[in-house]
Amino acid sequence: MARAWIGGKPVALERALAEAAELLAASRCPLITGLGTDIAGARAAIGLAERIGAVIDHVNADALLRDLAVLREAGMMLVTPNEARLRADTLLLVGPSLETDAPELADWLGLGTGGERAIVRLCPGRGARPTEGETHVGRGADQLPSLLAALRAGIAGRPAGKTGISAKAIANLATRLKAARYGVAVWSARDLDPLAIEMLCGIVADLNTKTRFSGFSIAPGDNAVGVLQACGWMTGFPLRTGFGRGYPEHDPWRFDGARMVAARETDCVLWISAFRAASPPWGEGPPVIALITSDAALGSGPAIQIEVGRPGVDHDGVQHHPPLGTLVAVEATRPSDAMSVADVVAKISAALPEVAR
Amino acid sequence: MRTRIAGGRVIDPAHGRDAVGDVWISDRHIIEPPAGGTVADATYDATGKIVMAGAIDVHSHIAGWNVNTARLLLPEFHRAAAPRPAAPPLSAAGWSTFATGCLYAQMGFTTVVEPAVLPHYALHAHLELADIPIIDKATLAVLGNDDFLLGLMRDSAGAAAIRDYVAWTLDATRSLGIKVVNAGGSIALKENVRQFSFDDVVPHYGVSSRAIVKALQRAAHEAGVPHPLHVHCNNLGMAGNVESALATIAAAEGLPLHLAHLQFYGYGKEGPRGFSSAAARLAEAVNGATGVTIDVGQVMFGQTVTISLDTLRQFNARHQARPRKYVLLETEGNGAGIVPYEYRASDFYNAVQWAAGLELFLLINDPWRVFFTTDHPNGAPFTTYPDIIALLMHREVRARAIAALPPDAIAVTTLPSIAREYSLTEIATMTRAAPARLLGLTDRGHLGPGAVADVAVYADERDRAKMFRAAALVFKDGELVVRDGTVTQVRWGRALTVRPERDRAIDHRMTRYYEDRFGLADAYLKVPEHALGRPQPFGLVPCAR
Repeated sequence: MARAWIGGKPVALERALAEAAELLAASRCPLITGLGTDIAGARAAIGLAERIGAVIDHVNADALLRDLAVLREAGMMLVTPNEARLRADTLLLVGPSLETDAPELADWLGLGTGGERAIVRLCPGRGARPTEGETHVGRGADQLPSLLAALRAGIAGRPAGKTGISAKAIANLATRLKAARYGVAVWSARDLDPLAIEMLCGIVADLNTKTRFSGFSIAPGDNAVGVLQACGWMTGFPLRTGFGRGYPEHDPWRFDGARMVAARETDCVLWISAFRAASPPWGEGPPVIALITSDAALGSGPAIQIEVGRPGVDHDGVQHHPPLGTLVAVEATRPSDAMSVADVVAKISAALPEVAR
Repeated sequence: MRTRIAGGRVIDPAHGRDAVGDVWISDRHIIEPPAGGTVADATYDATGKIVMAGAIDVHSHIAGWNVNTARLLLPEFHRAAAPRPAAPPLSAAGWSTFATGCLYAQMGFTTVVEPAVLPHYALHAHLELADIPIIDKATLAVLGNDDFLLGLMRDSAGAAAIRDYVAWTLDATRSLGIKVVNAGGSIALKENVRQFSFDDVVPHYGVSSRAIVKALQRAAHEAGVPHPLHVHCNNLGMAGNVESALATIAAAEGLPLHLAHLQFYGYGKEGPRGFSSAAARLAEAVNGATGVTIDVGQVMFGQTVTISLDTLRQFNARHQARPRKYVLLETEGNGAGIVPYEYRASDFYNAVQWAAGLELFLLINDPWRVFFTTDHPNGAPFTTYPDIIALLMHREVRARAIAALPPDAIAVTTLPSIAREYSLTEIATMTRAAPARLLGLTDRGHLGPGAVADVAVYADERDRAKMFRAAALVFKDGELVVRDGTVTQVRWGRALTVRPERDRAIDHRMTRYYEDRFGLADAYLKVPEHALGRPQPFGLVPCAR
């Protein structure tokens, strides 16, 4: 049975659920964030948000929305990591954070398995040393915007200004990329602002005039892409969508949960973290109802805390699978009686008073 | 619970019925009118109204990664979304799964097929379908650019192996049928081939597009799948592509074959701009090929977004995007392309496309073999169906529309010369009886005893667009769900599936294949019932063998 705490003291689950419902019902501007959960949890949380007029955000929405900003301004050519492994003869690995953000990247792409593949890393970090068969161009992430601009100019045969990287190296790189039969660019939105991502996607698009090229960005953790998909089909919009007016409105600035907390625009937070025992990343703030995979009360933290199980460990679930680029069903590896986020949210919803909004 | 829909004009082409009378419902099903004197628990007066079975859409892109990516690509469209129903969860969202089910139900549709599901994305598609209320749904699984099938063909594995693979795919992805989209074309694009026709050969695999279509057609037929292979031909949208469609029709060779959104293949190279309607030729070929069925993919003017698994076509169309942005995804199998587009009445090419669709509707004689689609949202959103019905049923509505279009465009079509007007019976055939037969859904599309009680009642208005836009009453599974064009009750329908018999050896072969090629268990692409979060999310449709 799920454990629950109020003010750090253990309480019966029913009491925690009732108090959570009361807090949310009384809130004038609730925020549902963290949202590290499986698809069932996301569907339940979004349904709850509509009922109580809450804002929906995700702990990794920053990175998601940077990519999405480019997608909806300019579009993108995309490939799944799995297809990249099977097909790419040229890999353009951009920025220093790829392996930090995706420790399994080498597996996804079949790196280090030999073969004839050209592997170029752009600005892999000042200390990075090329492994055998790799070429490095540029050093720190701060060089990326100017390097990408110069590279796009080079591919199009246009002159570029000084970048701190030799014009010859850029020209050679342009030649190599144009010689790819099927190239794949990989980036992490942590390393690039939207303009730099748009430049990189522009390089990919330009290369397709003559040859084939595509790309993908590293999917942020906590099932961010899965939650984004559910939010998309349920509301028509991505995360950072609010129901305060009774219908979904999307605004990446207005509904940025961290900003709302800092600006004291929200008076109650439902924080969900089912993949890891993470607490909200801010210090001071409004009362928090935390649904966390933790069997102990978090220190000074939440007003109400309810233990939830981990999708794919404690219970079956559906989540985004980065190598296939799609949603997959995962079975519990150690089934337990811990409640899922969907179960807890359903119980909180059932405990809400019938308010006419 | 017995319900009586009393005194309407009942149009039920499956039973040759067009007469004033009653329709009786007991719980979920239509029943024979009981003996005289029986009192119904609820009676709805349909005097002066038209009563038909619930409508069935055989081809409408309503769910899955590609549809959802179109939503994320085009946030600016949502506010413009059509009337907002006011009952289900999240009903105020413009372009959502919830709105989709309500908008369909309000028009009297009770079953809709999502025709483009990549096997690896089947779970995602079913999750979206599970959040589409009221209507029943189904998916078609897309094969024909997948390594496993082309590998079987390259290795001359034989018809039985392909049939087992088709059966396995249908079961794993919980689909109702198989579709092929530009057979081999998506693999060719990955090899930087930019044009791919019916007799072109897929690089490395050495099999032609024709061979893939024929192999899948035969496999679906021999596996006893009721719905014939659903084909999206090569060279969609290109001038002169009527030859691709004619070649595909000829290749049907007597076995059933369904050609999707045929309008997009109805183009010749005549006229001053080298672009003309060849719909008349195409209609003649369809009239002569009795095993062939088609849906139209009518174009209507306005902003929309094209969503297709034909990556080659979408790649080539990327520079025509309106507004100027697009998404192309490449993955195992077809991939997907999303290209926004605005059809303009002032545009020569768009006007020819509009006319070519109507020519197909009007020149194909048999309403049992031509189906009502806009290839939603590729030709137009499905909410334009009522306007299309009005164009088909009234010459003068058509004449007014033609008069507003560029005369040089109309000059390369035969549309002004066509006098035919559809009858209500023909509309009911095309939207109810025939699609049920095409999909093997014997329990719907008609009002005979035993049928699922999916019933639509319309006011008999002279303005057919107004009539079909807002049904007076709609029953789904015997429950009243729409009254006066407004959703009154939300329920959750099922996804209809088939499960043909197969040699279970294919299961082991697929497990090994997934481990070798993807380093994954094949369980990853399956669609477990418990993942969908709705009671009884599936309904099984029997196969012929």
